[in-house]
Amino acid sequence: MPGVPTHLRFENLCRRFGRLSVLKGVSGAVAPGGMLLVTGPNGSGKSTLLRCLSGLLAADSGTIEYREEEGQLDASERRLRVGVVAPDLAFYAELTVAENLEFFSRLRRVSPARGFAVLERLGLPADRLGGTLSSGMRQRLRWAWALLHSPRLLLLDEPFQNFDAAGERTARELLAEHLAAGGLAVVANPSSLDFDHAAEHLDLGG
Amino acid sequence: MKKLLAWLLWLWISLVIVGAFLYAPLAKGFLGESSRILFFHVPMAWASFIGFIAAAVWSGRYLFGRRDPRHDRAAAVAIELGLVFGVFATVTGALWARIMWGAYWNWDPRQISILISLLFYGAYLALRAAVDDRETRGRLSAAYALLGLVVTPFLFWIMPRITYSLHPEPVINAQGKVEMEARMSQVLYASGIGFTALFFWIHNLQCRIQALFDRRAAL
Amino acid sequence: MRRNTSTWGAEVAAVFAKEWRCEFRTRYSLNTLALFACTTLVVVSFSLGPLGVSRSQGTALLPVLLWIILLFSVAAGLPRAFVQEEETHTATALRLAATPSALFCGKLLYGLTLVFALEALVTPVYVAMTSFNVESPGLLIAVLAAGGYGLAVGSTLVAAIIAQARSKGTLFSVLAFPVLLPLLVLTVEVTRCAASGSAPDVALPQLLLYDAVVTVAGLMLFPVVWNP
Repeated sequence: MPGVPTHLRFENLCRRFGRLSVLKGVSGAVAPGGMLLVTGPNGSGKSTLLRCLSGLLAADSGTIEYREEEGQLDASERRLRVGVVAPDLAFYAELTVAENLEFFSRLRRVSPARGFAVLERLGLPADRLGGTLSSGMRQRLRWAWALLHSPRLLLLDEPFQNFDAAGERTARELLAEHLAAGGLAVVANPSSLDFDHAAEHLDLGG
Repeated sequence: MKKLLAWLLWLWISLVIVGAFLYAPLAKGFLGESSRILFFHVPMAWASFIGFIAAAVWSGRYLFGRRDPRHDRAAAVAIELGLVFGVFATVTGALWARIMWGAYWNWDPRQISILISLLFYGAYLALRAAVDDRETRGRLSAAYALLGLVVTPFLFWIMPRITYSLHPEPVINAQGKVEMEARMSQVLYASGIGFTALFFWIHNLQCRIQALFDRRAAL
Repeated sequence: MRRNTSTWGAEVAAVFAKEWRCEFRTRYSLNTLALFACTTLVVVSFSLGPLGVSRSQGTALLPVLLWIILLFSVAAGLPRAFVQEEETHTATALRLAATPSALFCGKLLYGLTLVFALEALVTPVYVAMTSFNVESPGLLIAVLAAGGYGLAVGSTLVAAIIAQARSKGTLFSVLAFPVLLPLLVLTVEVTRCAASGSAPDVALPQLLLYDAVVTVAGLMLFPVVWNP
């Protein structure tokens, strides 16, 4: 790994919504090839943590440090670099799957090839309209979208939700390949999933 | 120290009131005692305007600085107070217009400008009321305040120029035409200082109250 | 992937193309704008009566009514550009993928084309239905362009603000009206000049200045409005 390795480190993140304190000083770190598994019951702040890490939500206090080869990235740069799978991620119902991927690949200034390759692996026809997709198909599109720009950091919130057995198997393979290539991942899930590789655990309790 | 300043402010404003009615002479060309309203109407409009500028400054500091909630709170309180002072200014102006020209509302350019400013204040407060999340609320309302800041100069400069040409007999705002004797301008400036100080004194109090409310809401 | 200016334009073009592609498949905004414009046109024309207005009355009155029709049509149709992104939750994907300035410019271009299409539809019909006499048609086209731009840029920015709030329908009008009012005063004045053939010495430069100022404000404020 040339120069300073890619890593993610967050310290003492706090976030409240009105009266409700959802994140109460959460800290963690991820190294290249490493995965941080965030578990906890519903409402414990898993999604909130991931949204803070992706830059979709500003934490009230605490720090997030994300570094890639070129150096430290601030929140706005990090937001555009990460790959995100989340239940509330939606795409354009009036566009086909292919048109959605092409649009976002133009926004990200990359070729849509990677996205289409992932789509094919997951087995999603590219000419379906976004509005006609089943929930399992939407999840496949989310994965293809997340990997479109070959991100170094994956932030996955309930990544296997709505998948059938085949879909989940393929997605696990994709995740394993990502980590084997030196990528980082933070995965949030209500329950602890079986992973082939050792994962750091962060339990947000309740 | 704060207590002393508060007493000083009370004394100052009292002197202004006394001066407005006993010390300053009546302006020429005004009916009866009606010119006395000048000493209250103008400073309140002025304080309202200052409040808007202050809110914009605090909004800018919040948005492009460290997102300190105190700046957001200060901006919101300044707009609220600006609205209150602005309403009083509009009402006193309308009363004055009634006495002078027989009608509460004359579509005078300055009347229109202050009315639109009040609409801005109201819109800002409506926006704040429509956003639940504190961080989003601060961000959106600060952005709107700054947008208001860049747009209002057009209101205050274009309105007088354009609408004058529309009306065949422009209603001349008396401030521009009245020649003020020394004693009148003394009271007017003193009143201006007094009302501005009053604005910021109330602003300080309200910010502290609001901070307590915010702290309690977070518990 | 590095962000660079040479493909910023491609991002803007992508946003613009996406907006129109979605719009053509649903035709929601176009229908709303057209319907609103036609309805208000008919009401205005009807209320002016079969004999219309005299020349002098026309110069005073007709410019105002035209811009009221345009303002309310824009308020009915333009905010959807941002409101719909939030309501269908596609905004999340946009926040993670798009450069804010490119997104703003793409949406602005879309809004501009909508406004210009609206004006192209409304103005000839309006002029015909009200027998609006215009001495300088060139100036009328200029004010429609500059004023239409002002409507688009102001509405796009305010739409981005209210899209993240509740009660978006009423809130848009409440927030946009004070912002757009100075614009309307200026456009009405220049339209009056176009009708009467006089020179818009004061109003036209101020109109262009307004457009410039709100554009700069939009470019600076949109990134902080859009992202936390």
